[in-house]
Amino acid sequence: MKETGKPTANPMLVLREEFDDWAILFDPDTGDAHALNPISVFVWKRLDGHHSVDDIMSELVKSCDDVPENAQTEVIKFIDELLEQGYAGYEI
Amino acid sequence: MRTPRQVDIDVTNRCNLRCKFCYHFESAGDVGRDLSTAEWLQFFEELNRLHVMSVTLAGGEPFFRSDFKELITGLVNNRMRYGILSNGTLITEETAAFLKQTGRCNFVQVSIDGSKPDIHDYIRGSGSFEKAVRGIEICKKHRLTVDIRVTLHKKNIHDVENIAELLIERLGIHGFSTNAASYMGLCAINSDALSLDTADRSVVMQKLVDLNKKYDNRITATAGPLADAHMWNRMEKARRINGENTKPGSLTGCGCVIEKIAIRADGVIVPCNMLSHIELGRINQDSLEYVWQHHPMLEKMRTRSGISLAEFEFCRGCEYIGTCTGNCPALAYTTFGEIDHPSPDACLRRFLQDGGVLPVIDESRQTME
Repeated sequence: MKETGKPTANPMLVLREEFDDWAILFDPDTGDAHALNPISVFVWKRLDGHHSVDDIMSELVKSCDDVPENAQTEVIKFIDELLEQGYAGYEI
Repeated sequence: MRTPRQVDIDVTNRCNLRCKFCYHFESAGDVGRDLSTAEWLQFFEELNRLHVMSVTLAGGEPFFRSDFKELITGLVNNRMRYGILSNGTLITEETAAFLKQTGRCNFVQVSIDGSKPDIHDYIRGSGSFEKAVRGIEICKKHRLTVDIRVTLHKKNIHDVENIAELLIERLGIHGFSTNAASYMGLCAINSDALSLDTADRSVVMQKLVDLNKKYDNRITATAGPLADAHMWNRMEKARRINGENTKPGSLTGCGCVIEKIAIRADGVIVPCNMLSHIELGRINQDSLEYVWQHHPMLEKMRTRSGISLAEFEFCRGCEYIGTCTGNCPALAYTTFGEIDHPSPDACLRRFLQDGGVLPVIDESRQTME
């Protein structure tokens, strides 16, 4: 993905948050459901067309006590997967 | 779980048939009225906000509603998938094409209770067999997932081999599920003629186990004789291994209120369509999220699994107490008058005392679901 880009989550997907901070990302068109860990949920909620990866990383660092070195790579990889599956995109 | 993952909705109280064992009619769910289109659509918006993933539409007969397409469109627009429980007789080419194009239909479940008209129609009324089979064929033609439910009762257990042949070999259905006419609704009234007795259950359990050998486990069950056959065989095996050195089991037989909730045709929120006398609130007036998270009755039902079977006189001295789950609370209620009680209908000790015979199962080959 373009690191300067500001992706937007597909609004037709359903994010079900559970009490244990994990969540399910559900695609009603296919019936596919994916488990998201708390960091993925954090990222997903910021895919609003107003946050770049840098913005998201900056907020992540502020909200966590300890962020591993490879966090940005993992976040980019996660967003790339979302883009690939059509779960996120860029506003035209 | 913050909100229900699935909601079972009796979308109408009306039906074009009056099946002799219908659990709905003559139950507390038989409310004599339907909600308007606007009321359901308003509720679907709430389900969207609560991130409900799927809805099962039942009734009554869902296809009986003239606004059926509007309701389905409402579900789709609110990001849900859906399944439909139907008698199959009102399914048309146009309906099936509509369902298919939504891309959200998990299944259409059609009931078939006999291999030929006289057996099926004895329960459901003249002409219903031909129409239901036609409905199945239309669903298949439009590549909808069509599930078949066979409800076993006194008059069709000797037809079960023919039913399997019809569904699997002639209609090309992948498999089908089974249950039994349960002591609820109209079945409670017609129980003498329809309910399986111990001898019937012994016979049909073995037949279903044998058919699953023939059809490579394409017959499934979560309740009724086939489910009992597997559960009771495991319980008997555990008794032989463990003897009396087992810790008593508890009322774990129902997980329904953990993931889903139900709505009556009049909009009253209930724990399950088979426990429709327990009123928890009303849609569009009470918050479903609040009911789900805070209603004392739901909390009580969710902690039912903490009630030990050792507390019941009914279970005293039972050799199967360590592996028994108490089974369905709705059946416990209709047969015993209490929810927090093991269901007598599912009692293995009672079945054997009545002369019941467990089927011979090769567990290495068989699965339940």
